[in-house]
Amino acid sequence: MGEIKIFVDSSDEFGGQQYKYIAEKSVEDLGLGGSIESIGMVIRIEEPVFIIAIRYKEVTGKNTLGEAAYIDSRKNGIRVTLSSEIFLGDALKALWSKYGRDRVEQIGRLEIFVSGGDPEEVKGIRLSEKGYDLESRISELAARIIPEGFRVRGSTKKKGMLTIIASEDPITEGWRKLAAKLEEETRA
Amino acid sequence: MLKYMLFEGGLYKHERILEFLEDVGGFLVQKTVAGLDLIMNLALPEEELEGLSKIVSDLKGKLTYAPLVGTEIGVVAPTLSRHHLPHPACDIAENLRRHGAKTNIIGLSRGVGQKIVHTTTKEKELIEEHDIAVFTLGNFETCLLKKTRLFNEIEVPVIVTGGPLMKVIQGAEAYVGGIGRYPERARTGETIDRLREVSRVAGELVEERRREMDLDPLVVDPIIVKGEIERQVPESTEALSPNPVTLKIDGVRVKLLYDEYKDRIGGVDIEGRKLSEFATIKRSLMRNYILVKVLPKSMF
Repeated sequence: MGEIKIFVDSSDEFGGQQYKYIAEKSVEDLGLGGSIESIGMVIRIEEPVFIIAIRYKEVTGKNTLGEAAYIDSRKNGIRVTLSSEIFLGDALKALWSKYGRDRVEQIGRLEIFVSGGDPEEVKGIRLSEKGYDLESRISELAARIIPEGFRVRGSTKKKGMLTIIASEDPITEGWRKLAAKLEEETRA
Repeated sequence: MLKYMLFEGGLYKHERILEFLEDVGGFLVQKTVAGLDLIMNLALPEEELEGLSKIVSDLKGKLTYAPLVGTEIGVVAPTLSRHHLPHPACDIAENLRRHGAKTNIIGLSRGVGQKIVHTTTKEKELIEEHDIAVFTLGNFETCLLKKTRLFNEIEVPVIVTGGPLMKVIQGAEAYVGGIGRYPERARTGETIDRLREVSRVAGELVEERRREMDLDPLVVDPIIVKGEIERQVPESTEALSPNPVTLKIDGVRVKLLYDEYKDRIGGVDIEGRKLSEFATIKRSLMRNYILVKVLPKSMF
């Protein structure tokens, strides 16, 4: 896990530093340390406008166990080796509901053994109704950081990047340019 | 004049303190037992302090002067969202409680933004039910200066906390900087010092208010009212709310339903007079509780 780059350009220096700290702690609270690459913020409190750009690593949504794990047959059953720990909870839940707790055993950090399962059947098991939704958690992160009073919001989403302009007034063209510049800096 | 003290020590032989208080005309305001530890909020005549100190020292306890004992403080957060709660409002409230105050946390409906920010009439009345209000604001100086309308018209003393290290803010009795919006529990010595500063400032405001009240004292000290209500209306001590008869500077809050108990509370006999003869008894905006405000002697 690389270090997350967080930078703030604020007209109120003290407030800006506090928001850097708030961003760090919010990433920690949401457990997004491994997914975020950088966060940039522009704060012009006298206008007032708050712009945040979050660059994150895109995770392709995995819907079935076959997509999220390598499955191989063993003597008395099958071994499921997950590609990432984030699927573990959902995978166990899905397997338990299908085969019951007696037949499903977690044998390692990423490995699950299913007694007497059929590989093809296991491959087709859906992980969860929605799949792993990173984007909604990134939006949640932005909502936690942005001051609550700034309720007029405009957001743009590009590949691996979410930018939100928040203010109390209608969003101006100048702020959009500022946001585009911030986006570039965050991507760099 | 009564002196308000905080005792911290063990349960062992603490009855000696209670007996001493009874003998000298002191009062037990609140008693909290946690395992074998004991915290008691006490009030006693100033001249008896030496006697109490001797007993406390025998019991190896700690006695500190706590002007916030017998006060009810409202900690007001701009909203109830995670941006403003639980930190820092709960940290401030906890520190005030450590100094003897009873606290309530209030979340405003529109305490955010520079333009929409305001306090509704109901919120204002609710805040004014407290002895002091502490407003917890954010990190930007510009924002803070535009939010003064939140507390400008509040008639009880107001303390404002915020991130910027300013000295004063218009419309408030005091400002404590260095406590803005922060996303985790106050853990460093520096932030805890800022919390203590809020309690210190609140203590000063309470002392000032009590000194002013000495010039025109209340007909009966609220602490006597509290004792008599607890004795004559035993249901008041059985209410499940914390601190069911909460002591305030100029009265008490009884955590019983107004419609059911107002007449019994009003009929409490104190020194041969009914409570309703020298106190206003009204419905609190907080859960329909009963708010008793003792009138000053000058009104009779």
